[in-house]
Amino acid sequence: MKPLVITVLLLTALTGLLVVLSRDPARQVFALAANGLMLGVLFFVLQAPDVAYSEIAVGTAVTPLLYLATLAALRINKKHP
Amino acid sequence: MNPGARLVIFLCALVITAPAAWRVMHSMPTFGAATSGYADTVNTLAPPLRHVSNMVAAVNFDIRGFDTLGEETMLLCAVVGAVMLLRGSRGEQEGDEAGLLAGRADIARSDATTLACRVGSTALLLFGTYVVLHGTVTPGGGFQGGVIASSALLLLYLGEGYRCWRDLIHSTVLAALEGIGALVFVAAAAWPLAQGHPALDNLLPLGKLKDLYSGGVIFLLNGAVGLAVTGSFGQLILEFLEETRSPEDESEPNEADT
Amino acid sequence: MAPWLVTIWLFGIGLYGIISSRNTVHLVGCLSVCQSGSYVLLLGIGFKWQAGPPIFYDHPPGTPAVDPVMQALVLTDIVVGAAVTALLLAIAIQVHKRRGTLDPQHLRPLRPDA
Repeated sequence: MKPLVITVLLLTALTGLLVVLSRDPARQVFALAANGLMLGVLFFVLQAPDVAYSEIAVGTAVTPLLYLATLAALRINKKHP
Repeated sequence: MNPGARLVIFLCALVITAPAAWRVMHSMPTFGAATSGYADTVNTLAPPLRHVSNMVAAVNFDIRGFDTLGEETMLLCAVVGAVMLLRGSRGEQEGDEAGLLAGRADIARSDATTLACRVGSTALLLFGTYVVLHGTVTPGGGFQGGVIASSALLLLYLGEGYRCWRDLIHSTVLAALEGIGALVFVAAAAWPLAQGHPALDNLLPLGKLKDLYSGGVIFLLNGAVGLAVTGSFGQLILEFLEETRSPEDESEPNEADT
Repeated sequence: MAPWLVTIWLFGIGLYGIISSRNTVHLVGCLSVCQSGSYVLLLGIGFKWQAGPPIFYDHPPGTPAVDPVMQALVLTDIVVGAAVTALLLAIAIQVHKRRGTLDPQHLRPLRPDA
């Protein structure tokens, strides 16, 4: 049990680093989804199923969609002053 | 301020706060030790007192229900702010033409995608309702089920295309859902107050442990929050996707109007 | 000791991302990394070894369980955090429409003649 918690914590730290290091927002969306998934697994391992439900639904489905829609809106509205 | 100076200031701040962070980290309680008597009290007392088996729902909607009232209002305010910002400069008309980008192919939607999304969104909506209704017995509740139901709306957009989706989902319906959820929460807090009890007091019949209806006001608030969160996230998705339509006229955004 | 280290790491790296960001959308993503550090902290405080989740459907009430109050805090925090992220992205869209740039280091405060 202890190695599992330590491993998932390290993976969470790694995906957090990946989110910051991906400077292009289009790439960062996938890093955010991966971060959300790892956080969900971490919350599950820390015996918090309610929180894991919330984080997986929000962090992998809704938030990346909001980012993608924002990026599309930014590109479409760029042509108009 | 140029980036180099900004980074130097950040490193100075790090150097100054690092010893404090180290000291705090070492005086934190041991990871995994029992730290809170309050938690043990809640775990022992809430099932016989409130007849629920999901302690997190009991804490969220009954024992610390007032904090959740504040969070619900925060959600409402954030969504109203985002909608106002986006609609304020775009106007109230619904764009029909998809915004096109030069050099980007317009791929037609395949039938397999539409079928899979129709099946998937129905199943997800049912699952979201199940998670909301069973919030007092198994892991789940209003917040989780609401987000799952709003991702069902998302799948529907993927399968049907924007125009059909816009005809199916009306912004007024989503706004009504959101408002009704928040109103039920506030009414559940105000009704006991009007009768001389503390706010958010559990006055409804409590039901049996492990039954679907249990916990009295916890069950009602679960449903209210589920409606509110579905409406909120649906509104957000709708407004953001509406931004990707091509604008109707080429006028500049008018600073004096908004 | 591990969750506290990960919390400090996530907060620090998120803060570094915010100050060195060249794109407002990237900045909002780094802000969400800072927020996730606080979730790890709260759930790390509530955790107990050899304890199950605080759901007493299959086990009788009385089996060792982790802290439900911390989970309640994080739960509402996640959903409201997503809504605030949406608000920040809406602000980013508006800034881009009016200023034409998304670089935080080139954005000046609002002036009446801008």
